[in-house]
Amino acid sequence: METERPATRPTWAAAQDVFAISIERMLPRPRSFWVFLLMAMPVVFGILLRIYPPRDLPLTGFELYGMVVALFFVRNLLPLVALLFGSALISDAVDSKTLTYFLTRPVSRLSIFIGEFMAYLVTVMTLTVPCVVLTYIVLSVGTPQGAGFGATHLVQDLAACALTLFTYGALFALLGVSLKKPLIPGLLFLFVWEGFVANFPGDAPNYTLTAYARSLIRHRPAEEGLAELFSKFFGVGESVFVLGSVGVISLVLATWIFSRREYVISS
Amino acid sequence: MTARVVFEKASRWYGPVMALNDVSFELGPGVYGLLGPNGAGKSSLLKLASGQLRPSQGSVRLLGRPAFGSPDVFHSVGLCSDTDALFEDFTGLQFVMALLSLNGFDRATSEKLAIEAIETVDLKDAMHRKVGGYSKGMRQRIKLAQSLAHKPEVLFLDEPLTGMDPQNRKRISDLMKRLGDEGRTVLVSTHILHELEQVTQRVLLIHNGRVLAEGNLREIRDLLDRHPRSVRLQARDPRGLARELVGLPDLVSLNMEDATGHLVAEIRKPDAFFSRVQELAAVHGVQEMWVTDENLESVFSYLVSK
Repeated sequence: METERPATRPTWAAAQDVFAISIERMLPRPRSFWVFLLMAMPVVFGILLRIYPPRDLPLTGFELYGMVVALFFVRNLLPLVALLFGSALISDAVDSKTLTYFLTRPVSRLSIFIGEFMAYLVTVMTLTVPCVVLTYIVLSVGTPQGAGFGATHLVQDLAACALTLFTYGALFALLGVSLKKPLIPGLLFLFVWEGFVANFPGDAPNYTLTAYARSLIRHRPAEEGLAELFSKFFGVGESVFVLGSVGVISLVLATWIFSRREYVISS
Repeated sequence: MTARVVFEKASRWYGPVMALNDVSFELGPGVYGLLGPNGAGKSSLLKLASGQLRPSQGSVRLLGRPAFGSPDVFHSVGLCSDTDALFEDFTGLQFVMALLSLNGFDRATSEKLAIEAIETVDLKDAMHRKVGGYSKGMRQRIKLAQSLAHKPEVLFLDEPLTGMDPQNRKRISDLMKRLGDEGRTVLVSTHILHELEQVTQRVLLIHNGRVLAEGNLREIRDLLDRHPRSVRLQARDPRGLARELVGLPDLVSLNMEDATGHLVAEIRKPDAFFSRVQELAAVHGVQEMWVTDENLESVFSYLVSK
């Protein structure tokens, strides 16, 4: 009855197997559906705008798209989505009591965490990419600037979205493995810290993620009012470095905590 | 004896609550029962044994390595936990295959092993259905299938027969016995003595977080037989079943619950009762049987005071 046993499982191979399981469980969740509906709002808005164009709109369709990506996606929705999914990365498995299945298999906790995080990234990108692309198409195709205008920006915007989701996701995953109830601290961080401090004068924005994330969207029209006066913009290289570093450090810390923590899962 | 599971003065607290207290034992090949009333510390012991928790004091070794933080040992360890948790959107086959993939088996081998295990627990007809739609007994069996699909040397089963019908109880009991005969180490946690008797005489008695002894099952049984036990039955034809059961010796009382339609029997010597229920299961559509055994607590209290 003995079956030949596989050797010690390499981290990456095991992470891929965890990913394959997690992605099938994460994508079809109601949470994904509601997030997709939220993300599709700019598409609906764009369609309505094309059907009923206002007479005195001071922006071109492409400029409007730039604003939507910068303010709606990168500034607000994606960090919120990262909070919803990232903080629940392990706690969902604890709440559903399925974490035991992973913890009692020959896979390291590092593999479990990497697999879960990959599933998170693929899930949120699967929800984000079509909505951003459709927003671009709806708002810029057929306008005087024509289809294909700013297509390079579209690719850069998608990369900016991916980096935003990576960094915030990693940070909130860290919050999720550190705290029992990470949602409230996460919301406070997003709306108090990120919401206000990024617009303070001086060096205060240096300590927010959103200031770096918004610096990646370079083609949006100028903001007006006080926000524009105080808004600080960083170079693309610097922004990518800071966001990437915060993401990687958060992931390392989250994995370290997850590897050492006990999870008491009872019936 | 090759000790595969070794507890050495292991204790475990949850905050100020002591779940296990200075527990030492060794398990080699064969089937062992872990018997104790609800809240005795059975699940905590199994969680320590299966590396889900680390001991607060002492050590727990599994196949020669510390149970906590040694994922490699799980190539050779299977766990059927007491939680009713499954990947609800997966079919039975997908569920077992997915977990086998974590053991590093390729797809073809996973499928072969999964089907074998699913056949063993008699779920082949339902293996393409989503587990979210399974009955309680089926969920229990698919959990069991995933725990033994990779043919582990050590198997931890936490209340494995919960919610199963009499035929499947028998089937799974026979399976546990067979696994023990094959030289595997099987630790079965239960608060139901009768379940254990069918598979082993070796039993670890646990009460208030302490392993009292590797007890003699016969002795425990004699004690228990002085206390009537409560058995709950769910059947398609409860009235017909009640008519058949009512004349049995050692039946203390038999009632039908209005709210649930369940039959609740108080029995003294359960052997004849269980055998009779098994014979009648098909005719009267016995779907589930629970032995509630509230009296185990009093028997253990008696044992502790002895």
